[in-house]
Amino acid sequence: MTAPSAAPMLEVRSLRAAYGKIEALKGVDLDISAGEIVALIGANGAGKSTLMMTIFGKPRARAGSILFDGRDITDVPTHEIARLRIAQSPEGRRIFPRMSVAENLQMGADATDSSEVDRAAGLERVLTLFPRLKERLSQRGGTLSGGEQQMLAIGRALMSRPRLLMLDEPSLGLAPLIARQIFDAIRTLNRQDGLTVLIVEQNANHALRLAHRGYVMVNGLITLSGTGAELLQRPEIRAAYLEGGRRG
Amino acid sequence: MTAPAPGPVQASRLPGVAFIFKKALISALVALVLFSLMIGIRTEAGPTGQLIYWTRFGDLAAMVATVFGGSIVVELLRQWWGPVGTVRIVPPSVQSTLAVARRAIAPILLIFTFLVPVIFYDQRYILDLGILVLTYVMLGWGLNVVVGLAGLLDLGYVAFYAVGAYSYALLSTNFGLSFWVCLPLAGILAAFWGVLLGFPVLRLRGDYLAIVTLAFGEIIRLVIINWQSLTGGPNGVSGIPRPSFFGIPLTPGDDGLAAKLGIEFSTTHRIVFLFYLILALALLTNWVTIRLRRLPIGRAWEALREDEVACRALGINTTTTKLTAFATGAMFGGFAGAFFATRQGFISPESFTFQESALVLAIVVLGGMGSQLGVALAALTMIGGFELFRGFDQYRMLVFGLAMVLLMIWRPRGLIGHRAPTVFLRHSQAISSELAREGRG
Repeated sequence: MTAPSAAPMLEVRSLRAAYGKIEALKGVDLDISAGEIVALIGANGAGKSTLMMTIFGKPRARAGSILFDGRDITDVPTHEIARLRIAQSPEGRRIFPRMSVAENLQMGADATDSSEVDRAAGLERVLTLFPRLKERLSQRGGTLSGGEQQMLAIGRALMSRPRLLMLDEPSLGLAPLIARQIFDAIRTLNRQDGLTVLIVEQNANHALRLAHRGYVMVNGLITLSGTGAELLQRPEIRAAYLEGGRRG
Repeated sequence: MTAPAPGPVQASRLPGVAFIFKKALISALVALVLFSLMIGIRTEAGPTGQLIYWTRFGDLAAMVATVFGGSIVVELLRQWWGPVGTVRIVPPSVQSTLAVARRAIAPILLIFTFLVPVIFYDQRYILDLGILVLTYVMLGWGLNVVVGLAGLLDLGYVAFYAVGAYSYALLSTNFGLSFWVCLPLAGILAAFWGVLLGFPVLRLRGDYLAIVTLAFGEIIRLVIINWQSLTGGPNGVSGIPRPSFFGIPLTPGDDGLAAKLGIEFSTTHRIVFLFYLILALALLTNWVTIRLRRLPIGRAWEALREDEVACRALGINTTTTKLTAFATGAMFGGFAGAFFATRQGFISPESFTFQESALVLAIVVLGGMGSQLGVALAALTMIGGFELFRGFDQYRMLVFGLAMVLLMIWRPRGLIGHRAPTVFLRHSQAISSELAREGRG
C-alpha cells in the first residue's frame, strides 16, 4: 500500500452545488490522500451522490473549489476530468444492457484514448479481479445478474486505469454475500494497485470497516469525520446508521 | 384481445372450442358495428346535388365473415405457436440449416443485386424499381446511424435529402459544376445542416427531439417553397444535368461513352450506370457504418442510445458524439439527395414531404434498429411491396398497415433484432472449472 503523502490527491473546499433552487451541497470540505479508501456515508438525500457528481463536473459547483493533484478542476468539462484519470461508477450500475460485456469494458477505456497495450493490460486486470466477467465477455450486459452487473460497472470504470475511483453505492440491491465480494475486490484494488477510492454508501457498517477514513454527511454538510474505526465506535453513528433507527 | 383467464395450467394452455368461438364472435360483432356504416351503406352526391345511397350488405357480410374466420385462424395459430417466451425445441439439423441460411442471405442478396442489370437488362421497369429500392436502402442506412445506432429519433431526415438534392441541382445548373464535384459538396452541406440541427436539440430526447426534428424537416421544405429566387419555389429546378461516366457523358454523340467504346448507343446504358452508382453509394454507406461501429465513436453512439448518464460518467463527450451522429447520417442523406436530383433531372419541394421521412424511419424501425441487413430487407419489402400492390391502389395502405401491425406483434425489435457485437476476443476463452471456482462463487 502506498503511504498517504503530505498533500492530498483530492481537496474539496467549501463546495456548494444546487439543483435549481434546492441547495444540495452547502459548503463541503473533504480530503482524499493518495492510496486511501475514503467512505462517505449518510442518509438518503444527504447529498452524497451530488458531491460525487459535482467532483465529476455535473452538476457544476456554484461556489468553492475542487483540486486534483493541486490543479483546480472546478470548471473543467466532465470529459476532460475523465482524462485526468478520475473514474466513476454511477449509482444503479448503469451498464449498457444491449452491448456485450466486452464492449461495455471497452467503453470505459474509450474516453481516455487508451492505447491497445493499455486496453489489454486493463482488461487483464479487470478479468483477474472479476473472473466471472471472463465467462460472460460475449454476453449482453443486460443478461447479467445484479452482482455481475456491479462487477461490470466497476470493471468498466477501471478500464480507464484511474488513479482515483469513485463508487456510488456499489452494494445497492445486492445480496450480502455478493456485496462482500465487491468490497473485497475494492480492498484488493487498494492494497495491490495502490488505487485511491472514494466510496459513497448507505451500508455504513461495511463501508466504514473497509475505509481508512470516513465522512458523515447530513443535509448537504459534513458533520463528522475520522478514521473508519473511530466512526464505527461513535454512539451517534451507531444510533443513526448501524442500529436500524434511521433519522432524516 | 383478452388473455385466457389464469386457471389450471392445462386449461390456460389450451382454451377450448367455446373460448375460441366466443372470441371470434366478439371480433365479428365489433367488425359489424364498425363496418355497417363504413361498408354497409354507400352515399354519394347525385347529379343534382341530392343524396343518393345504396346498401352493400353482401360486402358487409363478407367482411364480418372474414373477421370471424380470421379470428379463429389467429387463435389457432397462437395456440400452435404457444405462449410468448415458449422455448420450442427445434431439431439441431434444422437449426444448423437455418443458421447457414441466415449467414448466406447477405452475400446472396449482394450478388443478386450486382446481377440485376444483367438479368433484367431489357426490363426498364425492374431497373427503375431497383434504383428506387437502392435509394431507400441508402437512406435507411444513413438514418440508421442517427436512429438505430445513436438512438436519436429523427423525424425530419428528408430535410438532408432535400439539402443534398438542391445542392447538386443549384450548383450544377448555376455554376455548371459536374456531378462528381457536387457529390462531396452535397454531403458536406447536408452534414453542416445536420450539425446545425444538432446544436439546439442537444438536450432533447425522445418525443421532444422527434417534434423538433419534424419541425426542422418542415422548415427546410417551406424555405425551399418560399425562396423563389433561389430555388424556383413550387416550380422546382429542372434541366439538372445527368451524371457523366467520370467526365464522359452518356449521350448518343461522338464524345459519348457508347461511341468511345464502339458500341451502339442505348438509353439503358444510363439506367444501368445509375443502378451501379446508387449501389456503390449505398455500399459505401454500409461500409463506413460498419467501420465506424468498431471504432470508439461508433461504440459511443451505441452507448449513448443505451444510457446517456452512464456515458457522461465514463467521460464520453456527449456533445460531439451526438453532433457526429447527426452529421454522419445527414451526409449520407445528402449523397442520396444528389443522386436523386441527377436521376430525376427535375426536383421540386413535393418530393421532400414528411411522408418520405416517415417512410425511411419505418424502414429503419421495421428492419430492426441498428441492423444493416434488416434495413436493406425492410427497404426491399416496403418499396417492392408498394409496387406490388400498385394494382390494388385503394387497399395498398391497408395491406401496408396490416403488415406493420403483424410485424410489431411477432418481431417487436424489427425483422432482424439481433445486434452483432463489435468487440471480438482474440483468443478463445475456454474457462476451466478451476478458474470459475477461483471466481469466488
